Amino acid sequence: MGNNVEWDWKIDHKISLFNWNLKEIWQYKDLLMRFVRRDLIANYQQTILGPFWILLQPILTTITYYIIFGRIAKISTEGIPPLLFYLPGIITWSYFSDCLNSTMYTFLQNSTLFSKAYFPRLIVPLSNVVSHTVRMLVQLTLFIVIYVVYVLINHSAHISPAIILLPFVLVLTAAFALGTGLLISVITARYRDLDYALQFILRLFMFATPVIYPASIVPAQLKTLFWLNPLTPAIETFRTAFFSTNNLEIQPLLIATLLTIIILIAGMAFFKKLETKLMDII
Amino acid sequence: MSAVIIKAEHVSKHYRLGKLGSGRLREDVVTWIKRKPVADEINNNSKQEIWALRDVSFNVEQGEVLGFIGNNGAGKSTLLKIISRITLPTLGCVYGKGRIASLLEIGTGFHIELTGRENIYLNGNILGMNKKEITSRLAEIIEFSGVERFIDTPVKRYSSGMYMRLAFAVAAHLDPEILIVDEVLAVGDAEFQRKCLGKMKEVSAQQGKTVLFVSHNMQALKNLCNRCIALDHGKIVDEGKPENVIANYLKGQQNNFTHQSYDAPEAAPGNNYIRIKKAELVADYLDGFDVIDIRTPLNIHVEFWYQDVEPGDLIVGIQLFNFAGDCIFDICSERKKFENGLIEMNCHVPGNFLNDGSYYVSVSFVKNTTQRIFYFDACLSFEVEDYRKDTAWFGKWIGYVRPSFPVIVKPKQ
Repeated sequence: MGNNVEWDWKIDHKISLFNWNLKEIWQYKDLLMRFVRRDLIANYQQTILGPFWILLQPILTTITYYIIFGRIAKISTEGIPPLLFYLPGIITWSYFSDCLNSTMYTFLQNSTLFSKAYFPRLIVPLSNVVSHTVRMLVQLTLFIVIYVVYVLINHSAHISPAIILLPFVLVLTAAFALGTGLLISVITARYRDLDYALQFILRLFMFATPVIYPASIVPAQLKTLFWLNPLTPAIETFRTAFFSTNNLEIQPLLIATLLTIIILIAGMAFFKKLETKLMDII
Repeated sequence: MSAVIIKAEHVSKHYRLGKLGSGRLREDVVTWIKRKPVADEINNNSKQEIWALRDVSFNVEQGEVLGFIGNNGAGKSTLLKIISRITLPTLGCVYGKGRIASLLEIGTGFHIELTGRENIYLNGNILGMNKKEITSRLAEIIEFSGVERFIDTPVKRYSSGMYMRLAFAVAAHLDPEILIVDEVLAVGDAEFQRKCLGKMKEVSAQQGKTVLFVSHNMQALKNLCNRCIALDHGKIVDEGKPENVIANYLKGQQNNFTHQSYDAPEAAPGNNYIRIKKAELVADYLDGFDVIDIRTPLNIHVEFWYQDVEPGDLIVGIQLFNFAGDCIFDICSERKKFENGLIEMNCHVPGNFLNDGSYYVSVSFVKNTTQRIFYFDACLSFEVEDYRKDTAWFGKWIGYVRPSFPVIVKPKQ
């Protein structure tokens, strides 16, 4: 039946879990960067303070946390100045939750676009991660500026060798958010009423993450579970890198890496498997 | 024979409608707990399943412009979406060669906060062009769009016309081997549509692109396509030369449909302005005849409820089309103010005017000369039989109309 002809492509209903077609994603890299640009321009174009919001957000959050958790609840900051203690947690956490939040609604928020144009759907969550990375890097720069000023005045902080792991833990944070978000996105596409539950769980999860307190105050019986959260070694490594207060915990970091890789592979596989099928539901 | 560029084999698409999966986790869990025996469930669901496409196979050759026609729900758009890789076939497969660009909507992904220039890139990337390709055509796209002066203004400040021109300009400069176009010509004014059609003709005829095209505009299909496929309830029912397929399709649509009436406005066709009470075609049959032939005078009679919140001036127009989709005439009433209520319209078409053939009538309602408030499309249809006296010539009499203006021949004095 003419199958001796060489075809470039074939469309049928079979989709394999692991055929991710990364080459095609690479071909669409211009679209990815275009989405990033769109998000950054559109989000800040009409606001009075514009891009300064990126900086204002962590500063205001830090002040709030300092008043509530530092002054009123008097939670230890391990001798680190509150501003510099809270910022790594806030930057890492908001990077995680922003990436997760935008990834998990991929299908719901792009249903019109997805029903009118073809491109690898993974481009959308990837572009979200990239634009949140830009925001995170701006915030990281703010942290470094404050840190340098503090060191010049006080001479009391020491950068530890763990600093070389900083890029790695940030990538780990993004990969963890992306993997989890992809897994959830195929569920929210089908069950829209999960929204409230997810936001609630996300808020609880923040308190299970050392954002407002140091890992050292966690009771011994909860320690194992606590360190299984990939964000715990991420944030702790971040703090250790700049303040050398604690020893670098290598083992939890390795476990977190392994966990993240598994979640990311599962997320990619399910996303890929269901991305087109979901179009008949949403 | 040219090479086959797309080959669709037994493509079928199955949809489940209604309550299978409620979209809410809670309800799905409840349903699952209270689930019925399996046999029962299958029985229940089968009523809510439809085959949007059923065993559709066809080939498309390189450089061909293939049109798809069919009623709403015939499966045309589903087919284009499958070839565009937006949705999956349930069974069967499609093979193809070369890059596809799908134009299922004008301005896909446009962001209103961004400038025209940014949106050209955004839309172009979404449609599958890369940055380099867009940059190399940017000047051309901007010129074609005709919105040079506003190219660095956010598109939210554009008029809808400018917005569409810009969007089409991007689409017109796509450079795929295969272009898929779905009903995008349904929007925009006549000028815009002419520009789009012209560009599509250029793309197909001069650049030798393969185009798959869905439209309700029969004129456009006839002009652009080399071949047409008619779909009905997900199956291919006709295939061949555009004129023939279109004529068959329109003929099958409504055969001598000369009367329709409705008792209550709620059940009648129409909208918030107009509800149709009755539309009929009354023939003044000649003595001894009971079919409409070329000599028979016809009366088009329409009654409608006018129920506008702000009644204004009304114009009622009648368009007569032949079944090839050509408009024979487009006439309208004088502008006149009406209060809400039942209104009737009459139009007398004299005998000895139409040629033999099949015709259909559409009625349009226009408020304050510019706002079309309702278009009652193809509401009546009829056949005009041939009638000849004193002639031995029985071939098809050509011409759109066949008036009996006297043609006088006599010896010159």
